[in-house]
Order: sequence, then structure tokens, then C-alpha cells
Amino acid sequence: MNRTELKEQIKQRWPDVRCDVDTASSMCEVKCSRAVLPELCGRLFLEWNFSFASLIVEEGASEWQLRYCFYGEQEAGWVHVLATAQLAEKTFPSIVKFVHAADWHEREAEDLFGLHFEGHPRLGDFILHDDAWQESVEPMRHHFDPHAAMLHRKPDADWRPHRVVQEAGAFVMPVGPKFSGVTESVHFLLETVGEDVIRSTPRLFYKWRAIEKLAEGKTPDEVLLIAERFAATTAFAHGLAFCQAVEKICDVKIPTRAQILRIFVAELERLRQHAGAIQEICESTALVVATSQAGIFEEDLLRISGELTGHRYLFGLLALGGLRCDLPNDACRHALKKSQDALKQLNELEKRLRVSSSFLDRLEEVGIVTHPNAMAYGLLGPIARASGLVRDLRKAQPYLGYEDIEFDVPSEQEGDGYARLRILFAETKQSVRIMEQAFAALQNGSVREPLQLRAGAALGWVEAPRGGTFHWVRLDQSGRIARYRVVTPSFANWHGFHLAVEKFAFQDFPIMLSTFDLSVAENDR
Amino acid sequence: MSQWVINGLRTGIKTTAYPRDVEGAAGVTPGLPCSGKFDAASGKELVDCCPTQVFTQLNGTVSADTRRCIHCYRCVRGIEHPVGWEQTYEWATVRAPSNSPNDFIPAFKQSIHICVVDAGDCGACLNEVKQLNNPYYNMHRLGFFITPSPRHADVLLVVGPVTDHMRVALKKTYDAMPTPKRVVAVGACALTGGVFAESFVCAKGVADVLPVDVEVPGNPPPPLAILHGLLLAVGRKPPASLAPASSEIKTNAMKL
Amino acid sequence: METQPLILVFFALCGAGILLSLGTPASRQGNVMALLGCLATTALIVAGAYGLLADDTFSQPLWSLPGLATLTLKVDRLSAVFLMVTGLVLFSASLFAAGELNRDSGRSNGCAFNVLMFGLYSSIVLVFIAGDAVLFLLAWEVMSILCWLLVLWGRDLENDRVGAGYLLLAMGEAGTLAAALGFLVLGVNAGSLDFSGIKSSAVGLGTGVRWTVFLLSFFGFGVKAGLVPVNFWLPGAYTVAPRAFVPVLAGATLNLGLYGILRVNADLLPATQIGPGLVALVIGTISALLGILYATTDNDLKTMLAHSSIENVGIIVAGFGAGMVFVATSHPALAAIAFVAALYHLINHSLYKTLLFFGVGAVETQTGTRDMDKLGGLIKWMPLTAAAFLAGTLAIAALPPFNGFVSEWLTLQTMLRSSELSSTGAKITFALCGAGLALTAALAVTCFAKVFAMSFLGMRRLDKDQIVTEAKSSTLAPMAILASLCFAFGVLPTYVIPALGSALNPLAGESAADALVPPFFASNPAHNMLPPTFVDDFHNLGAQVGQNILPGRGLVVMHRGGVENPVVFAMSTSYMLIALIVLLLLTWIIIRLWLTRSRKLARCERWDGGVRNLLPEMTYTATGFSNPVRVIFDAVFRPTTVEDTRETVAEHFRAAIRREKERIHPVDKLVLHPIKSAALWFAGLLAKMHHGRFNAYAAYALITLLIVLVVFLLFQSP
Repeated sequence: MNRTELKEQIKQRWPDVRCDVDTASSMCEVKCSRAVLPELCGRLFLEWNFSFASLIVEEGASEWQLRYCFYGEQEAGWVHVLATAQLAEKTFPSIVKFVHAADWHEREAEDLFGLHFEGHPRLGDFILHDDAWQESVEPMRHHFDPHAAMLHRKPDADWRPHRVVQEAGAFVMPVGPKFSGVTESVHFLLETVGEDVIRSTPRLFYKWRAIEKLAEGKTPDEVLLIAERFAATTAFAHGLAFCQAVEKICDVKIPTRAQILRIFVAELERLRQHAGAIQEICESTALVVATSQAGIFEEDLLRISGELTGHRYLFGLLALGGLRCDLPNDACRHALKKSQDALKQLNELEKRLRVSSSFLDRLEEVGIVTHPNAMAYGLLGPIARASGLVRDLRKAQPYLGYEDIEFDVPSEQEGDGYARLRILFAETKQSVRIMEQAFAALQNGSVREPLQLRAGAALGWVEAPRGGTFHWVRLDQSGRIARYRVVTPSFANWHGFHLAVEKFAFQDFPIMLSTFDLSVAENDR
Repeated sequence: MSQWVINGLRTGIKTTAYPRDVEGAAGVTPGLPCSGKFDAASGKELVDCCPTQVFTQLNGTVSADTRRCIHCYRCVRGIEHPVGWEQTYEWATVRAPSNSPNDFIPAFKQSIHICVVDAGDCGACLNEVKQLNNPYYNMHRLGFFITPSPRHADVLLVVGPVTDHMRVALKKTYDAMPTPKRVVAVGACALTGGVFAESFVCAKGVADVLPVDVEVPGNPPPPLAILHGLLLAVGRKPPASLAPASSEIKTNAMKL
Repeated sequence: METQPLILVFFALCGAGILLSLGTPASRQGNVMALLGCLATTALIVAGAYGLLADDTFSQPLWSLPGLATLTLKVDRLSAVFLMVTGLVLFSASLFAAGELNRDSGRSNGCAFNVLMFGLYSSIVLVFIAGDAVLFLLAWEVMSILCWLLVLWGRDLENDRVGAGYLLLAMGEAGTLAAALGFLVLGVNAGSLDFSGIKSSAVGLGTGVRWTVFLLSFFGFGVKAGLVPVNFWLPGAYTVAPRAFVPVLAGATLNLGLYGILRVNADLLPATQIGPGLVALVIGTISALLGILYATTDNDLKTMLAHSSIENVGIIVAGFGAGMVFVATSHPALAAIAFVAALYHLINHSLYKTLLFFGVGAVETQTGTRDMDKLGGLIKWMPLTAAAFLAGTLAIAALPPFNGFVSEWLTLQTMLRSSELSSTGAKITFALCGAGLALTAALAVTCFAKVFAMSFLGMRRLDKDQIVTEAKSSTLAPMAILASLCFAFGVLPTYVIPALGSALNPLAGESAADALVPPFFASNPAHNMLPPTFVDDFHNLGAQVGQNILPGRGLVVMHRGGVENPVVFAMSTSYMLIALIVLLLLTWIIIRLWLTRSRKLARCERWDGGVRNLLPEMTYTATGFSNPVRVIFDAVFRPTTVEDTRETVAEHFRAAIRREKERIHPVDKLVLHPIKSAALWFAGLLAKMHHGRFNAYAAYALITLLIVLVVFLLFQSP
């Protein structure tokens, strides 16, 4: 459905609700009362086929502003549902019954702002671990005093893990935060009766660096550094989303050459990140030669990135208004040629993997995420596409000129580990295809447009290698960041991780973890 | 399964010649700024443009504290008088730790086991550590092995600014390691807190929590730099003097 | 001192005990038990020792019952063995029970306990020294009833205690009935109910009679011993029996059943066919397997030990069966080895099972629970109990240098000797049963590793407010005694085996000492009967170490084959112990005093992955540890799923996953429940006769009278 139809539908059901359509930013802003909130969001999510992007909580001077962002395919655009309340009232209705994807967003708001969502069965002990912090810390509030909070720490001495399994002799096996060889720090609580794991609960936010708080009051230039560096394996994508948000606020159109180069480098990053993910999957199944081969390809792509932009992880290239420096055409051609070689090698690897039965045995029908579950949890990226949930931001809400580029978005139906691997390989092919088209369309010109900072707020979105990422930026009068909200694909996918790992043998756990290609740094921010 | 054997054999040897020889391939290192002579105005411009205060100006010389560099390239891109840039990778330095003497341990020279702890890292440093065992770098040939348990570890490799939630885990890992042990802090965040230094839940580097022996600057340091740091920790490379060694590739300015 | 007077002293002291208990106040009952129990059992031990070692046997006729038999007391070496073992067990049990009585003196009826216990002591001994079937059965019956009364002794009588008691009594009576029938058949065919009389006429009995007697006595005594399929009363009774009594139940009364089987089928009626022996072997193996499977997967300490008793009895009976087969096929040496293995295991089981039950009693007293899932870390608060319990655990898991190893090893070696048999069927049965017993041994290690680890090691799972202290000396002393006996019986098998062999010589036909313990020591007169080359070979291996200082034959248990195969099997736990001590000492010296002398030992926290707090619920439970066994043997357990629900809140939040499974023991399913339904059906039929009509009852009486008259007339033929 398109925006006008949506507006009519809303007006029909809830006449008191205000609905403003902004054609320029393809956004429809719906202001509703708290009572109507769950039903409205539910209808958007379940009936009208919108995806849930983010819940953005902003503490205004006198009121709370909760913004629920939904997006649909091209025509439908963005819908931002706004609910407000006075600062003294901190209770909002929970929408999780209809939009389960909002579960963790509401828990985060409760932990960081102290809001209470009625009807949410499991608030608490999310970002601020109960066994490390006292209640009511509310670090994202304006009046938060970090010194006082750190000085008077009163962790809960009686903290117990949340138990779901009720069986005689069941116990909780802790894994982490330091476990395995070279892994990110995350704590798993695996409930088991000894033979296989019945339920797994990841305890995240051991790597929480509070970047949203850190960004407040800084200039966008400084915050660009943070946006690049908080989840550096997909640094360019996050930096790009931030730049797009600020550029939208300042209403600046970046030069074509900068746009095309941004596409080129973003796809190069996707190619490299997927090679890394493939290497992780091969490593988890202990297929040593395939691991080494994939490792060679990942290092090759890192070197290509380093040669082209000066930094292996593409730091320091993005600037507000374009790129910080130009990339010569020869260098781009060279990088493209080497990427095509890398792709050829990846295709050979894929062919060989498809006939390695011992490898496939460990991936097929392991860690299945069904399509209804993927939809309910709002999974993003390659793993959602492996379960048949295809919504790629490059096609659904194109940016940077992706609408002029021809490419396919692969999808599979099984939702198991093998399907996710196939998606990763298919997307690498598409990335090189996009890079070729981008290079062919490259024209000379400037790569940076100066911009004037001004007040405003906008959402920037990018299809990062792991899925869609959404950066919400609000600038105040002096051009400094008033609110910076980051929603990453790993935040949605970690939420749905336990679906894949219910009732499995201990040995399959690392494999399932690797097929999900999750980043703890992205989730924890 | 023979396809894998043939495939592996046909790929040949990809391993770098480092540390025996210099690695000259493109894209192996992001490089670091180097000190140089600048007049007052351009010197001040350099000092101001760096978000992490890498540069200090004294008597016409701008010196670079590379431990603080986060690779934002604002001192070389879009600036009138860019700073000199070196495409090196032997950046690690030995830092005299507070409690253990810094003499080298004979037992570590042949082979060590490394325990890696992610104390809030962004993912890039950890990814570079993961690259250490791909065929290009193959740290096993140098006798470096990763072990999951600190009880078997000789060297603790820490990445990330130490977040508040990870303090206990990091301390416990360190305490669980038997002596003699060494701590290697890898990455700008682990040395100075990086861009997260001002966050109220981040410490300003590993040195706030543990005694650090070897520091590897960079954001992230490439695998070769991490290798250099490990070689330093086991005494196979001498601690570097202030001037960079002559056997490294140098360019005075970045081509971009 | 001789055996006979000592036994009279024993009875006198038991009588004194009963009289004293009737007169003393409740607070002193424990002391009465301790004093007189220990004195009486000491007399018993010495009597048994004299009977066994000095061959001071006797046969004393008492009164003559017309038409039946002369009540005789007869103590031969076999009875002496049982008397000694029972004495050792009851000595420790008296101390333990005394402690329990003293602790509980205000609440429990100590006088009743003492009277019943002394009565039980006397009846047990009477069974062992009975020389004829009538006295045997009388003593057996008294023992049965006293057991039942003692199971019901105590203050709180819950329903399942009464139920278990009734099952024990009912099965006990059924077993007694079967045994009595067996004796009757034997007596009728042999012409007398006297054991000596039966023995002399045993040769002439036919196959049918032998099979009847075997089956009746085997399953009749098997009830008391705890054999499949008549042991379904055992787990229930052991679980509900009071703490003070259950060690006696497991350590002393179990042996009565085994004594009965042995006496009837090996002594009175030696085997002439392999059939009965094979039946015993197979039943023993099945009991052992089922017993250990249930023991491994059970979390209640007492029930687990009950199942383990079934397992051990299975091993003993398997040994008996092997012995009977070897007797029937005229392999006297092998029969001697088999019987020695079984009898050794019987002694060992009495010792370590009693010790384990003491430990369980101590744990239950201190913590209030027997559930392994709730215990843990007790070694910190009960170190001495833990040490003694560890000795018992190592013994029952058959680990050297404790006694379980010797008897288990000998039993398995006996199974391997089936190659000497000629019948293929027998060989196959031996092979399968040997494999089954090996599997049992492996599962036993798993089971007891779990028991010790989950109860004493790891993190404490009890409530924080629960105060746990070390057990009292009245518990620790008997545990220490039994633990040292377990160690002694493990390290000195070459002294035990000749003693047992002398008892079993008449049953097997050959001396076990000759078969198993070659006289390596030069001081032994039989030394010069060994071939000199053989002696030299083993001299170099150190088999004669200590020959000038130690008495006895040697320290190596060895079975010699023929010329082609001089040594069939050999082992020496004595030398093993010395080697173990030497190696440990050497290791400690080299590592601590030399290699790491300049290093400091630092103790720090366990590595737990860096979690902030390792909580007790994050550690392995007993269920978790034994779950693999549960899953692998699913076909045996066949659990039924009682509940498997997944509760969800707000559409997607998983609130709870509830799973519950129920197990019914296969013996219950296949034996008890059919019997119950059959009995109920039959009772239902009979109930049809009870319709309350007076006329019908009068008619019944008339009809019965008529039938009796007819029968009388018919049998009064000229």
C-alpha cells in the first residue's frame, strides 16, 4: 500500500490520530495517544506488512517523545509513530504482544531511561546488569551524574539467572564471558539436564560503551569517528548511515562521484565481511583447508581495502558531505580487478564446499529459524533472507542511488545453517556485480560538498553487511548532537538467536553461532 | 575429500617472510604519522585537527605520540600541510610494568600460549588477531598458540578499552594465569581508551586495570604489528629505540 | 576358649541385653546397645575366628521333636565365616545404633529397638548355626518378623513406610514358604530333615527332585538376598527403614539369603548338572545389571545404595552359579576359585555397604536431606566422614588397593575360565554373563564417582542457613573400623583366601589356597613343592619379597595352568600398594623437593570463564551427570512422559518449559503388577462368595463337612 492509502486506513480506524505525510523524506508521521499505540503498531507490523526499525526515546525539555519507526517497500515509505507524555509520567503501554521485534528496544528504554512499559513480561537486567548496578541508574537521562552513579554502586547480591526450564535436575551451564579461543565477550546461560541444551539465554552488554551518551554534546565530526569505530568490522556502513542522517538534516546533496564511490566502497566492505563470515563458518566446523582458503580471501580483501583507501577497515574515508579524499580511477580499477579475482576464488570454494558431505552434515537442518519466527522477531540481513524474509534496504528504501543499479537480493526458504551460507556466497556475487556497475558509472567531479550544520533530526539507514542499520541523529541549535540513537542489525539478530539454538547438542553451538554472523560490539554499542 | 588436499597443495605457500625479512605487500598496514618540523601556524593546525591529541608542538617540531592515533587521517587528508606518514608496522613498545621485572624469560623464547580477552573491543582489533593464523601470517610457525584457558597461558593479549562490565572478567583472567606471565595491550583503545576514553563506563586503557608489558598502537594495528608486539614480549625482537629502524619502508607523505 | 562356649556367651549377652533394655531409662538405652552389643558381637567374632582358623567345629543336638527332626546346632567352617562377618558388621552397627539412640533418646522408643535388635542378632546367628531344617526355618521366621518390626520402628509412620513394610513381610513370607517347601521336598526324598542326614543321602536323588529343590530354595532364599525377579520389595524397604537399622539390613540380613542358597545348593545338594548353575549365573548377571543401572540413575542416597546391594548380590550369585557349574563338570580347582570369589565378595560387600550406609546416615542427620541434587561441598564441613565414605566408595567401585577390587577381579577371572568347559551353551552363557558383569563394574565406577562427587565435592547447594557439622564419634568410629577393614581385606588377599578356601574345601573338592595362592615364601613347608624354575622366574620379579619376615604363603594371588600355560592369571594388591606408595613418594620428592623447589605455590580461585559469581545452580547436578546413562539405556528404563509443556506469555515470551518423566522398574512391571492384578482378580472372585446370606454360609459348612467325610471314608481303606 502507498502512503495515501495508509493515511486513509489510519484515519478510518482512529479518527483522533494525526497523520502528517512528508513527501520529501518519504516519511509519514503519526501522532497518537498512548492508549492507541499498541494496536496501531500491531496493525502496521502484522497486517500492513511494515518492518519495525527502531524505538527512539528522546527526553525533551518537558515531555518524553517516543518514536516508533516502521518501514515498508518503496511506495509505503517510512512511518514514524509518535507518542508523548509528560516527563513525570514514565509509563507507556508495551507493544510487544503485537510487535515482538520491539522487545529489546523497550527493555533498553527501561534500563537507560527508566520508562516502564506495561505488559512487557521481562523488563530489567538488560544493559545494566543487576549484579553490577543498582536500580534506577537511568544513564541516558539529562540529569545523570556519572561520578555519583559509579561511586555508589550497589549490585544485587542475590542475583540469580532467569530460569525457564523446570525439570528435576536441570541446571544452568555458564559459558563466558571469556570462552573459546578468539571470541567476543558474551555470556551464555545454557539450561540443560545434562544431555542436550534445552534453552539458551545470551547475556549481552558486557561490551557496553554507552556511545549514545558519549555522543551527546559533541560535534558531528567527532561523532563520525565514534560511528565508524564502535563496530569496526562494518565501519563504513555505520559511518555512512550517520553521514546520511546528518546530510539529510543539513539538506545537502552530495556529489555524484562521492555517491558512486561510497557505493563502491560499501560493496567492497560487504564482500570482505562476508568472506570473513564464511571463514568463521568453515572454522567452526573444523574444515581446516577451507578455513585457510577463506582466510586467504579475507586477508586479500583486507589488503585490497587497505591499498585502495589506506586503511584495511576503511576508516577515515567518509566525511560529512562526501568523502574526505578522492580515490583515483586507476586505484579503483585495480581494486575492482582484484575483487573479481577474489570472487572467482570464492566461487571455487563454494563449489568445493557444496560437495563436502561431512561439512554439510553439520550445517544442514541445524539451527533452523522458521519464517514466522523471523518475521515476529524482525530479523535482518542474510539470516532473515535465509528464512525467506526478504527486505533489503537497498531495494526497499534505496539510498545513494542504488535504485539505478541492477542487482538481485538472494533468498532461501530452509532457514538452516546451510541456507545462511548459501546466502552469504550469493551476496558476494551481487556485491561484485554492483561494484562493476558503479565503476562503469564513475565520472569525474568533486567528492565533497561543504555543509552548514543546523538544527533538525533525521534517520539515516544503510543495508550493512549484517543487515539494515538505522542511525537517528538530532542536532541542536549550535549544530551539536542532542540525541544519537543507533540500531544495528546484530541487535535484532541477537534477539532471535535463541530460536535457532533451542534443543540442540553442545557440539553444534559454535557452528550455529558462526552461521548467524553476529557481532557483539554492534549489539552492545 | 582429496579435493581439499589438492586444493591446499595448489595454493602454495602464502606466508609472509616477516620477521626474517620485510613484508612489502600493499595494504598490510595503515601506517602511522611521524614527527616532523613544522612552523608555528601549520604546527598548530596539526595539533588542533587531531581529535585524540596525538601531536604536541615544541620549538618548531611537532612530535607524534602514536599511542593515541585512531587513524582518522585528518592530519593528512583535507589539510594544507599534512604530516609525514610511515607505512611501517613495527610499532610495539615495551612499557616497564609496575610489578614484574622486564627481563626476558628464557622459557618464552621458543613458544608461548596466548590468552585473548576482548574487553570491549570494536571488532577490528579482534579481527586482526584472528588474521594472525591465516596462511599469510601463520603465527604457529613462530611458536605462538592461542589457548582458551588462562591456566595454560603465558601471555595475556587484551583488546578494547576495558568496559565496566568486563573489569571483573579481565581481572579474573589475569589472576588465573600462572606466573611468569606477560600482558600485551593491543590497539589504541587498549592503550589510551581511544575514542571511548570519555565514556563513563570505559576505563582509559588496560593499564588502568592490569600491569601492561608490551603496547601495540594502531586502530587497529595490522597483524604484522601484533606479531611484532608478541615477538617483543618473548624477547625475539629488541625493544625499539625512539627512531624507527632503517629496514622499514618509509614514505614521507601518503599518496592520497 | 572354644567356639561352642563362646556362642553360648553370645546368646547369654544378647539375653542380658534384652533384659537390661527393659529395665533402663530411655536416655541410657544407647549405652546398653553399645556395651552389650559390642561385647556380644566380640564374642561372636572370636567364636567365628576359632571356628574358621582353628577348625574348632562342633555339632550339638538339642531337643528331639517327634515326627520331625532333632533340633541340632552345627557349626562348620562355612558357618564360622558367616559368623565372623556378621560379627564384624554387627559390632560397628551396634556402635552406630547406640549413637543414633542417644541422639534421639527423647523422641524414639529405644527399649523396643534394643529388644528387637538383640532378638535379631540371636535369630541371625541361630540361622547360621542351625544344623537341621526345622531350627533353620524357625530361626528364619523369627528373623523375618523381627526385620519387619524393625523397619516399622520409629515415631512417624508414613503411609509408604507401612506399605513397604507390608511388602517386605509378604515377600519374606512367600520366600520362607518356598524355602520351607524346598526343605520339605528334600527331607521327604532324603528321609530326614537333619543336614547331615540330607547330605549323606543326597547322592541318590534324581534330576527332578534336584531341580525342584534348586528352584524353590534359589528363589525362596533369593527373596531375602535380593535377586531378580523377587527383589521388588528391597528398594522400598531400604529407603524407608530407620537410619539405625538399615546398615544391619544391608550388611547382615542380606547374607542370610546367600547363606541359604549356598548351604542348600552347594553343601547339602552339590550340583551334578550344569543347568542350575547356569540359571544362577544368568539370574545373578541380570540382577547385577538392573541393579547398577537403577543405582546410577537414582538421586536418593539410600535408594541408590539399595539398588547397588542388588547389584552386588547379583555378582555374588553369579559367582555361586559359576562354582556350581564347575562342580558339576568336575573342575574342582576352578570351582574353588569361583566360590572363593563369591564368598570374598560377600564379605567385602558386607563391609563396604555397611560403611556406606553409615555415611549416608551421617549425611542425612547433618543436612536433613538425602537428595544428591541438593547436597554438595560437604567435604569442607565433614572431612572425616568424607574420608571414610571415600574409602567405602573406592572399595565398592572395585579400585585397588581396596577389597572390592580383589573379589571383582577374581569373579571376572572365573568367568574367563569358561574355556575349560566342554559344553558350547555353557561357554556362550559364561561369555555373555562375563561381559554383563564387566559392564556392571564400569557402571559401578560411574555411579559411585557421581555419589561421592555430588555429595561431598563441588559447590554447596544446601540453604545458606543450614549448619552442617562433623558427625559424632559414635558414627565416625565404626566407619573408621570398617574402612580399615576394607583396606586390610584389599591389601592382604593372600591371607584371606586360604582361610576362605578351608571353609569351601568340602563344597568345591579342592583347596582354594592351592589353586590361588602359591607358597612363594620359603618359610612355608609347601614351598618345596613348586618347580624350581618357576620359583626362580618369580624370584626375579620380586614375588618373594618379605619371605623371611612375613608369615603365610606369599603375597601374590596366582592361578597356575598346565605346562603350556604356567600362569593363567596373577595379581598382588599387597605389592601394588607398596609400588603405589613408592611411586607417589618418588613423584612428590622429584617434583616438590627438587624440580619446583624454588617456586611458590599460590592458591587462587577456580577459573569460571570470568563470570562475576559462580552460583550453585551453575554446577553439574547428579541428574546431569548420569543423564548419558539414562539416555543410552532408554530401552531398559522406558520412561513415560508425564509432562512436556511450553508456557508462553504475550505470544512470544517463553515463560516456562516443564518436563517430567516417570519410570517404572521392569521387575515391577513384569512381576509385581501382574501378581497384584492376578491376586486382586482372584480376591474379586472369592468376594463373590461373601454376599452376607446366612443360609449360603450354612450350606458351605454342610458341603465342606460332607467332603471331609467322603475323603475320610475313601482313605480309610483296609
